[in-house]
Amino acid sequence: MTLLSSDHALEVCQALVKASPADETEVTLQSEEDRFVRFSPEGPSQNGDRERHSLSIRVRLQSDAGWKEARATVGTFGESETRAALGRAMALAGAAAPDPKRLPLEGAVEIPGSAPHRPTQDHSFREKAEWIERAMASCAEADLAPAGLARTTVYSRTLVNSAGRVAEGALSRAHFSLTASPTDGTGDGGVAEQTHCDVGCIDADQVIARAVDRGRRGRNPRLLPAQEYTVVLEPLAVSSLMLFLGYAGFGAQELHERRSPLVGRIGERMFPDGLQLHDDAGSADHPGWRFDGEGTPRTRVPLIQDGAFGQPVTDARWAKLLDLPNTGHSAPQPSSSGPSPENLVMGAGMESVEQLISGVDNGLLISQFHYTNLIEPRDMILTGMTRGGTFHIQGGQVGESVCNLRFTQSLVEALTRVSGIGNRPEIVGALFDGEIVCPALRIDGFRFTSATEL
Amino acid sequence: MQGIAQLAVEEALRAGADYADARIQRLACEELTMQDGSLVRADAPEDFGLGVRVLKDGAWGFAAAPGTHKDLAEVAPGLARRAVKTGRDLGRLRTKPVQLAPLEGQVGEWSTPVEEDPFAVSLEEKLGLMKQADESMQGRDEIVSRVVNLSLRREEQWQASSEGSQLHQVLVRSGGGLAATASAHGVVERRSYPASFSGNFMAGGFEVVRAMDLPANGGRMRDEAADLCSAPLCPEGPHTLILGGSQLCLQIHESVGHPTELDRVLGHEVDLAGASFATRNHLGNLEYGSSLVNLQADSTLPGGLDTRGWDDDCVPSGSWPIVKEGVFKGYQTNREVAGAVDESTSRGCSRAESWYDPPIVRITNLSLQPGKMSFDEMVANTEDGAIFADSVRTWSIDQRRVNFQFTCEVAREVQGGRLGRLLRRPTYQGNTTSFWGSCDAICSAEHFHLWGVANCGKGNPMQVAEMTHGAAPARFRGVQFIQ
Repeated sequence: MTLLSSDHALEVCQALVKASPADETEVTLQSEEDRFVRFSPEGPSQNGDRERHSLSIRVRLQSDAGWKEARATVGTFGESETRAALGRAMALAGAAAPDPKRLPLEGAVEIPGSAPHRPTQDHSFREKAEWIERAMASCAEADLAPAGLARTTVYSRTLVNSAGRVAEGALSRAHFSLTASPTDGTGDGGVAEQTHCDVGCIDADQVIARAVDRGRRGRNPRLLPAQEYTVVLEPLAVSSLMLFLGYAGFGAQELHERRSPLVGRIGERMFPDGLQLHDDAGSADHPGWRFDGEGTPRTRVPLIQDGAFGQPVTDARWAKLLDLPNTGHSAPQPSSSGPSPENLVMGAGMESVEQLISGVDNGLLISQFHYTNLIEPRDMILTGMTRGGTFHIQGGQVGESVCNLRFTQSLVEALTRVSGIGNRPEIVGALFDGEIVCPALRIDGFRFTSATEL
Repeated sequence: MQGIAQLAVEEALRAGADYADARIQRLACEELTMQDGSLVRADAPEDFGLGVRVLKDGAWGFAAAPGTHKDLAEVAPGLARRAVKTGRDLGRLRTKPVQLAPLEGQVGEWSTPVEEDPFAVSLEEKLGLMKQADESMQGRDEIVSRVVNLSLRREEQWQASSEGSQLHQVLVRSGGGLAATASAHGVVERRSYPASFSGNFMAGGFEVVRAMDLPANGGRMRDEAADLCSAPLCPEGPHTLILGGSQLCLQIHESVGHPTELDRVLGHEVDLAGASFATRNHLGNLEYGSSLVNLQADSTLPGGLDTRGWDDDCVPSGSWPIVKEGVFKGYQTNREVAGAVDESTSRGCSRAESWYDPPIVRITNLSLQPGKMSFDEMVANTEDGAIFADSVRTWSIDQRRVNFQFTCEVAREVQGGRLGRLLRRPTYQGNTTSFWGSCDAICSAEHFHLWGVANCGKGNPMQVAEMTHGAAPARFRGVQFIQ
């Protein structure tokens, strides 16, 4: 099983651009190789050894009234299938109404080179089984039930357009997660995970030790009243909150439609100076795609800096509409989705998690949030449940496990009350999608609105 | 295609598999989105590939690859051998072998009944309909975004198994909707028709889209979105709540559908989607709701998004109670987990998102059975200050599916036996069994509609599945609202 070579992908894309009768054509070919093993109390429960391709053809027809455009996607790159997709795209574009706001495609760019990480690509099922075996053994010793995922994935992407643009790149991901739950149902379980572009950087034993420790200490939680607490959020919990700013907060389209927290707040000093957030596809620890859905290089964008929200991320269309620079954050076009950041990186602070905890008199240490969702976009009012290990902090010490609590809290308001930032950023994801590099945070006055009995 | 699926199965058996099945799937879609009058998404995705699943030494192995008609036959044997090797590599870690509930080989064909082939309707007509729907939302300064969607999908699948199954199915679904977003006075509000998150979807052809009559409903959505920006926030505290069918769809899905998936109960989903409070000791005795509450699973439901001949384990479709007269009666199962509740056959809830994914237990069509009251009668017999709420705005539920908090797009206050002023951002929370236990009235069959869920995420790596929940408006007492 191999990804398409760069030369092969380029050849497929260029042939289609050449064959297209459209006035402008853009072809994107993404390939993916994925190996995963999911496990549960009975051992490996699901797995996959799989590959797929997605070839996407965007065609544009020029008229006096503007561009008419459409896209067709196909999961193979054989000649007959790709020519059929080209025909579908042409038919759709032909029927579309012209849009005077669409811009011509842009030409050549320089994109930093990248290749799949070979050891990650070659990581075998037997090697994944070794991680899982150790997780199952550690859980069995502690009378905990294991559940988790071992996964390695590599991707390649090539974009070619008729204006002379060629963009190529690759990504690699390795992931290991474990939830260790009391077998007698007396607790919610402990959670830990690691994600990295280099499988060699995954420390499975550290993941196992952390989840098992949390699972052990999480038995027989105590019900605490739902009220405001100072919270120390570990990176996995921070991710659930901050990724919503990426989904719905920092794009030019949301700002223009007055449904973003940036409305009326850009440049206003609201947050502690230490709170720094960038979108950075070039992050050394967690590189993302270096070009966007139109092949434009992604730039590093300060989103929260010097205590204030910065400008939104843009694409070619929204940059022109709002008279801002094109930051290279386009979705594949045409799309109803505006530009959005995909590579959020929070700056590290000075304190260890232990130091953050030591500053709390009566609060909560929270490992993870479950099913966080957006209630209101302007103040980013979010709700979600704690999960995977929630503990009472009293007098600066982590104490007993507590039952899960539901928060309903404005993220904008919460970020104004950050009173401590951890010194060890981690690469973490959230339930819905996406990954972020972020440290732990201490936030005062975090509002909880209900609780469960476990 | 059937021959290629069979070839994969035979190669897997030759390589040492104890069981094997193969699915070839061809998917064709048409996705159109118009925003503020411009066609911002016009996509025609197609996908085609083969997934081979085996049992070897008590463990699953699964391998998948895309292909053309010609080269799938070349790919199939290699995939089969890879799946067997994976099962062999992982089998030693199983604490007990995977055992499938018995099934005789199934042979047959099944197709969604379609009145009007959605792919045969001209693009000009579709875009004309969308344009009319868009224009119906124009005319208020508060509106910052008008979106109209059409989504059409045809899935063709060939299945074969080492037990002799040979199946061919064609599933067609159609749908769409519109949404108007308003922003005024520092408030952002959205109204969607017929349902939020891209509309409503049903098994069937373009007749599903025509029946929605999008252009006739855009003006109401525009006005409600704009008016909500200056409406008062829905009041806090306990209130009687009348839920509309579109919101009940979510309530059924999150607080009944997911907790009664047996794989969740057994801990197979703990690492991401979570577990369930509805553990096996509760089967047959848990008071899930009031005696009015009857929830029926039915993968034969006409128009249902999970209506099919067989599931991805080759198990025939069926209908069975999940909650009967308020008591918890049944789980949704596949062949792997059915035995855990001493059932000799699977309920047929095994589905994969595509050829690329291994099947997992999924919610099937699951509906709240109608009651006897008309909607007008229900409102007339409800006290002043009660809240009518509908259309999903946001949702959240804990990993055991007990504590939920849902926000609707719109609410109206009951006053004098009628629906009165608009209320903004109705957010209610509760505990699953207490909430269903507080149900004291359900509207009659004439108010019963099917609501399609086209974006249900589960699994890790996540897979998306589609299913339908039927519901008529229902009333719940003493529901807690927050702001």
